[in-house]
Amino acid sequence: MARLSFRRSLAIARQDWRVLRRDPLPAAVLVVLPLVLIPFLKPAFHLALTLESGPADSGAGQAVPGMAITFAFFLVGNASNGFFREHAWRTWDRLRASAATTPEIVLGKLAVPYLQALIQFGLVFGAGAVLLGLHVYGSWVAMIGVGLAYSLFLVLLGVLVTAVCRTYIQVYAVTYVGALVFAGFAGALVPHALLPPWAQALAPLTPAYWAMDGYRAAITGSDGSVIAILVLLGFSVAVGAGGVLLLRADETKVAWV
Amino acid sequence: MAGADEDADSALSLRGIYKSYGEVTALAGVDLSIGRGEVVALLGRNGAGKTTLISIAAGLHRPDRGSVRVDGIEMRDRPGSAQARLGLAGQETGVYPTLSVRQNLRFFGELVGLGGRAIGARIEELADALELGELLDRQAQTLSLGEQRRLHLALAIMQPPPLLLFDEPTAGVDVRSRSRILGLVHELSRAGSAVCYSTHYLVEAERLGASVAILHDGRVLAYDPLERLIAAHGDSAVELTFDGPAPTLAPLPHVRLSESTLRVPAGGEPGLALARALSTFGDSVARLRDAKMIQPTLESVFLALTEQSDSVRVAVANVNGSSVL
Repeated sequence: MARLSFRRSLAIARQDWRVLRRDPLPAAVLVVLPLVLIPFLKPAFHLALTLESGPADSGAGQAVPGMAITFAFFLVGNASNGFFREHAWRTWDRLRASAATTPEIVLGKLAVPYLQALIQFGLVFGAGAVLLGLHVYGSWVAMIGVGLAYSLFLVLLGVLVTAVCRTYIQVYAVTYVGALVFAGFAGALVPHALLPPWAQALAPLTPAYWAMDGYRAAITGSDGSVIAILVLLGFSVAVGAGGVLLLRADETKVAWV
Repeated sequence: MAGADEDADSALSLRGIYKSYGEVTALAGVDLSIGRGEVVALLGRNGAGKTTLISIAAGLHRPDRGSVRVDGIEMRDRPGSAQARLGLAGQETGVYPTLSVRQNLRFFGELVGLGGRAIGARIEELADALELGELLDRQAQTLSLGEQRRLHLALAIMQPPPLLLFDEPTAGVDVRSRSRILGLVHELSRAGSAVCYSTHYLVEAERLGASVAILHDGRVLAYDPLERLIAAHGDSAVELTFDGPAPTLAPLPHVRLSESTLRVPAGGEPGLALARALSTFGDSVARLRDAKMIQPTLESVFLALTEQSDSVRVAVANVNGSSVL
């Protein structure tokens, strides 16, 4: 088996960073939108959490991680777009004909979306803490751990989605449907305890639930972040393996239709 | 059949390459070997298999059967090492449209391991060679088609590899850009790179002084240096024009091009063919207005070989009672 060259992966990641810098608006939207929506959702979450378990915080402890998780899912589409746009620009074959191996290309393509996810979580939680009344009673380290694990899951899911979708419109559909479904099960739209019983039963099957569980545990200072991180890493391994097995580098992808 | 020594010495060696897409056979046993510093023009009609062959040589697709060696390295066994020894400029322009020309070049320089001052120097060098100097800080999407094609080509040669695969690099470009590109191919081959150059413009093969491989229906019909190919497969002819109707030329094979013009195949001896024709005309020779020697060209050889191959295919199909459509 050929050895990985991190130099080539780094070159690919740098190029993707240049592309992102040239057009940062879509990335910025994923940070701004949750921050815009959180103030609208905070009072509703405050009421819901008070009904559920007595006097609660301002609602930011639910609204901030909920919106962060909801909008982070769009990074699945961003990660996948990193591959699809190479097809659109006819540079995919150039990359494949270079000395860079497929694992090196995939690694390079995932670096920027992963970094973007971490920055996105950092900015949303940072702004949540400074501007929106989020209080972390537990551990910021646990918050970071959950962010690292969930971001890993998201970018690896991006590879799997790339592998199974032939067109970018399909990726687009998967991303939008996935973001809303994950948000629902995570308790980002309605706190988990207030979900219908069937949804409560299914929620642990979704990584978003565990991300929310891990963040809530870190915010409230309860146990559970470590388990959530481990479950998220398990999901990451599963989707990563699926991506590796199903991704065919020589398959032609259609960028827009 | 080439031996192992020849394969090891070649920048590209393709042996017994077969490739099908479902029921469609794209390549049916292609053998092709390109030596270091050699330019081979790959000619063929649309659908002849040129792009498939280049894709397989670049390691983008695996052949169903056969072996691909780049600079002595078997693609199947060590694809990364083999691909590190080739540069590809595919049929479609592949550049990063939202980035500048310089950023495009820098990326491919980084991929081949250039860094620091070397990458900057190489960018300047290529910009000079391909007239991209003024365009280095322009976004690639704002370039004209010809400029984009020159950039597309430059990306393949950030570090000139032993083998270059150019698939119709001059498609759609103006005369000046074409001239630049051909000049660059010359320089690259002089510097030791082997170039496999697919084109529909036969005159480019002549200008490059290339060896010519004619690909037809997934097979190599002919592969020789240009002069040898024409000598081996091209027939000269004598074209005779008369005042009034051309006389009959019963004993000699000929083609009547118009009422007053005949073409007589001359093989390799047009003088002899002319003498024979004149001797059969009798009194009509007084009406002979013009006699032209028609020399074979790459185009005439290409057409003759491909049409001959089509005729054989039709004949075989008729014998077998199957359709050729």
